[in-house]
Amino acid sequence: MTEAPCIRVSELYKRFDMLEVLKGVSFDVHRGSVVSMIGASGSGKSTLLRCINHLETPSAGEVYIDGVPLGFQVDAAGRRRPRPRAEINLLRRDLGMVFQQFNLWPHMTALGNVIEAPIRVRGMSRKEATALGAACLAQVHLEDKANEYPARLSGGQQQRVAIARALAMQPKVLLFDEPTSSLDPELTDEVLTVMRELADTGSTMIVVTHEMRFAREVSDRVMFLHNGTIEEQGPPEQVFGAPVSERCRQFLSKFIA
Amino acid sequence: MGNWERLVWNQRDALISGLAVTIEICAIAFVAALFGGLALCLLRMHVRALRPVTIGVIEFCRATPIFVQLMWVNYVWPELFGWPNSFFTAGWVALALQSSGYLAETFRAGIEAVPRGHREAGAAVGMSPALILGRIVLPQAGLMVSPSIVNQFTVIVKSSTLVSVITVQDLMFQSQKLVNVWYEPIEILTATAGIYIVLVFAVSALGKLLADLLRRRFGVAAN
Amino acid sequence: MSESLRQSLDLSLFWEYRTVLLRGLVFNLYVFLCAASVAITIGLGAALLRINRAWPFRVLGTLHVEIFRNAPDYIMVVWVHFVLPLLLSPILGWRVEFHPFVSAVIALGFVYSGYYAETFRAGIQSIPRGHLEAGRACGMSERLILWRIVMPQVVRKMLPEGLNQLVSLFKATTIVSLIAVPDMMYQVSMVTAQEMRPIPLYTGAALVYFAVVFAVAQAVRLASERWRQSIYA
Repeated sequence: MTEAPCIRVSELYKRFDMLEVLKGVSFDVHRGSVVSMIGASGSGKSTLLRCINHLETPSAGEVYIDGVPLGFQVDAAGRRRPRPRAEINLLRRDLGMVFQQFNLWPHMTALGNVIEAPIRVRGMSRKEATALGAACLAQVHLEDKANEYPARLSGGQQQRVAIARALAMQPKVLLFDEPTSSLDPELTDEVLTVMRELADTGSTMIVVTHEMRFAREVSDRVMFLHNGTIEEQGPPEQVFGAPVSERCRQFLSKFIA
Repeated sequence: MGNWERLVWNQRDALISGLAVTIEICAIAFVAALFGGLALCLLRMHVRALRPVTIGVIEFCRATPIFVQLMWVNYVWPELFGWPNSFFTAGWVALALQSSGYLAETFRAGIEAVPRGHREAGAAVGMSPALILGRIVLPQAGLMVSPSIVNQFTVIVKSSTLVSVITVQDLMFQSQKLVNVWYEPIEILTATAGIYIVLVFAVSALGKLLADLLRRRFGVAAN
Repeated sequence: MSESLRQSLDLSLFWEYRTVLLRGLVFNLYVFLCAASVAITIGLGAALLRINRAWPFRVLGTLHVEIFRNAPDYIMVVWVHFVLPLLLSPILGWRVEFHPFVSAVIALGFVYSGYYAETFRAGIQSIPRGHLEAGRACGMSERLILWRIVMPQVVRKMLPEGLNQLVSLFKATTIVSLIAVPDMMYQVSMVTAQEMRPIPLYTGAALVYFAVVFAVAQAVRLASERWRQSIYA
């Protein structure tokens, strides 16, 4: 692929008070590819994901979306200016995120959750947005739950609505932050199925997950993080089958593949 | 600034004596309200026959505005019951009346929140109901609802300003007297308002401190 | 005593004057509605100040809350009525005088805005962070998040508390009689001065206020119960 990467992460550092969580992470994600991030708790993978859409502000380094830097702007004279929050908010339109805790807004129906941002942020008409929302809910196989409130939906259903909500903004990249970690085992499959289907249709996805089988079968590339750096990176056959890094090997041995 | 000195600082004796009366009446009212509230609460929970009456009294105390209660106690009770016989008494009785209702409900909530298991454990070692109540239930209930109790005390302090209306010589009364004498309300009333605000704030802060201290000491989870 | 008892239970005097007394009650309501509007709007403003990113705003908000929550209603009413005009007159250049009704609304409105500020703040801060992040992740502005995500939930969560505070506010309106606002207590004192029979009048007033407040408080309690049981946890 010779086109510019969809997402470029460049020398990202993140420090919380005295604790350095990310220590110089760099990688590219090309359009249409699925990248999985695996690693132990505390390895920094969630922080990395949240830095990509600036929910956490990086201490150093930058994220580029289709070549456009997220945290700063280059003005006419060629100088760097930090981007105001409002602008960053707006740029986030092109990035969709699915959270571990679903975070559906309880006072709106499923459909309401899905169409809220398209109406308010992209300025769509209600009619257009509802059609789009219904289509997104259909994509996650929940078209019949459009008028239900989140409290009435199971965890798996809620997470799928959350995915539909992210899709409705027609983002360039979908970010998944341990999407199935809060779900009961019986419910994770329905969510993983939807994610697989998304991958098959060519969505660009970055997934932080503990679901090794999913990572192995669906990703184009897997990154193993340890202590804030990428220890191992490559196609799933390599990372899972013949990892170079010892720590990666140790980490994977805990999972019965 | 000369006005402040003349009108407030030089009159501090009057204001201080008023403050003393305020503190006195609030303290008496608070203690009376604690007893009254506890009595109402226990009556309500344990004496089934009197329950409607008790509930009526509690609801009456909670729903009637303090000013109305004050007027009623001060003007009507002496005619009906021959008591209270002084304005000061009428003052603390009315204040206690208002808070008894709230405290009764507060205590009830606290008592009901004490886990059943604690009572059962007491019974299992042969404690009498009275002992269980006094040694296990009430202490825990009290600690759990101590913030609400502190809050009621601040309510009493704030409501005490009204007793000046029935000529009790509290801080409010003294400050209004000064205004009537000097005809310059700005410094006097502002100072009075300031004193009350600081007083209520102090009561609230100290109360919170004490409550937290006791709760941590006795291991009742913060609510 | 039985004579006085009979007298107090004989509320015919109250009944005789019922029109003027009940018109006074309407005045209580009138003051209440105006003060409530002031309290809620200013309370919301103060709450938003208290959670603002910039610390001067936070300090301002906290000051507002601490001053007005800790101030007794009566002294505030007196202060607004007698002192505020004297402070404003030199600034505005003309002799300011507040109609007692205005003083009452301002004073009670501001005092209760202190309580509402805390209610709103507690509500706003109880909204899970994740809901805000989900909004941000969709590209919503902070203002959009506040009004479409946070406030609808806050209102629902804090409605019982907010309604209880309205009941307290209504009870507080009885003190406005002391600055000659013609509410029911004022009328009672006027009639007592004339008729020299305090018992039926004050007892009647107590019963009327009790009935009104009790009825409303019960309604609020029932509504809160049903609320808690609705789909919305």
